[in-house]
Amino acid sequence: MKRRLSISTISILAASFGVSALLAACGWMIFLFAPREITMGDVQRIVYLHVAVAWCGLAGCVAMGLTAAAYLARRNSVWDHWSQAAGELGWLCATLTLATGSLWAHEAWNTWWTWEPRLTASLVLWTVFAGYFLVRASIEDAQRRARLSAVLAILALADVPLVIMATRWFRGIHPVTPEMDPRMRIVLLISIVSFSALFILLAILRKEQLELAARVLSRERQTGVVN
Amino acid sequence: MALSHAAKTWWWLVHKDLLRELRAPRAWPAMLILSLALAMVISVQIDSPSDQHLELAGGMFWLAAFFAGTVALDRSFSGEHEQACWQGLLLYPVGPGTLFLAKLAANFLAFCALDVVLVPAFTLLSGVSLFAQPGPFLATALVANLGFSAVGTLVSALTSGLSQRHGLLVLLLFPLVLPVVLGAVQATRAMLVGDFSSWWRWIQLLSCFAAVFVALGTLIFDYLVED
Repeated sequence: MKRRLSISTISILAASFGVSALLAACGWMIFLFAPREITMGDVQRIVYLHVAVAWCGLAGCVAMGLTAAAYLARRNSVWDHWSQAAGELGWLCATLTLATGSLWAHEAWNTWWTWEPRLTASLVLWTVFAGYFLVRASIEDAQRRARLSAVLAILALADVPLVIMATRWFRGIHPVTPEMDPRMRIVLLISIVSFSALFILLAILRKEQLELAARVLSRERQTGVVN
Repeated sequence: MALSHAAKTWWWLVHKDLLRELRAPRAWPAMLILSLALAMVISVQIDSPSDQHLELAGGMFWLAAFFAGTVALDRSFSGEHEQACWQGLLLYPVGPGTLFLAKLAANFLAFCALDVVLVPAFTLLSGVSLFAQPGPFLATALVANLGFSAVGTLVSALTSGLSQRHGLLVLLLFPLVLPVVLGAVQATRAMLVGDFSSWWRWIQLLSCFAAVFVALGTLIFDYLVED
């Protein structure tokens, strides 16, 4: 048990160093390697963060839905912890997507917010995430909470194609695949990879934390500390 | 044989819901009166029909219809929980899929009744004749109501036993049902301005959405009615 724990700690430490190095390299590339955009200037660099967190937000929603389906199929609380961890990080990324998108829009479109299809769909995704946490918070019983929130997470999956296809279906003004300098494309790719790595690492840590909290609660109930 | 039994059971469940509403009306009167009040408030914004009003009328009509429709959705399952009717219903040899389809049909009929009252009222108050093209409007109303009742029935079942069900129902329902709201509004707008190629695209989107949620609901309803 002691040996396994130490290996796990070393793995997490190594992964943390790896992700930190990736993020540092990504930061260097965003500010020093990527060329300055002619029209928008340095403000355009926010796109590297915006696209990466938007990707992680959608991936979080998909992961939340798929792990929720796995929970309903297996009834193993580990899948519920994965679903919650993915949902929390997805919600955080959806929030960052809206914030960075708003900053970019202020420079590009001269407004903080507009009811553009993709922006609206992203806000809907954020609201669905928020609803998922409200449902979780309103149910005491752990099994019932896991079951009902799993159903909601599966329903939330339906919003993912809406966010992705919003600009194509509803003819919005949000850029879909803009023309880019090859160096900009490389930085964008590195940024997506770095933030995805950070997302996975944080999801693992959060899932471990949720499992630990569940074990502590179970032990407290066994010993009669709590009801 | 099994299909015939399921169809018979489905019909009896729909019949039960309609009969209960007929003998002790609770949801429908409140829903209809709320829809009229909303139509009145909204129509104040439309003084005389013009091209701009034709663009807006669809949005106003469907917002009134969907907001009023939440009253029927709210009662759909909460009525069953009173006096342990729900437990009694679950004791019958009824498949969860059949139960979902029966509740969906009862909600769908409630929304159709709502449209029957709201369309003439809205036309009278706003001066915009929604029924000028009966075929396209009926098709729009049927697929929009089907999509709305499919998502609404699922969300209503999910929130029915929760402490903050009223707030959660609306909070979860509207983000999830946004494609239906958008589709219904845009299809009605296209129909009113005579753009039938656009109308047909929105009807296809609405039909796909309704089909996905009816199928999803039939499959996952089992997990909502376990307790």
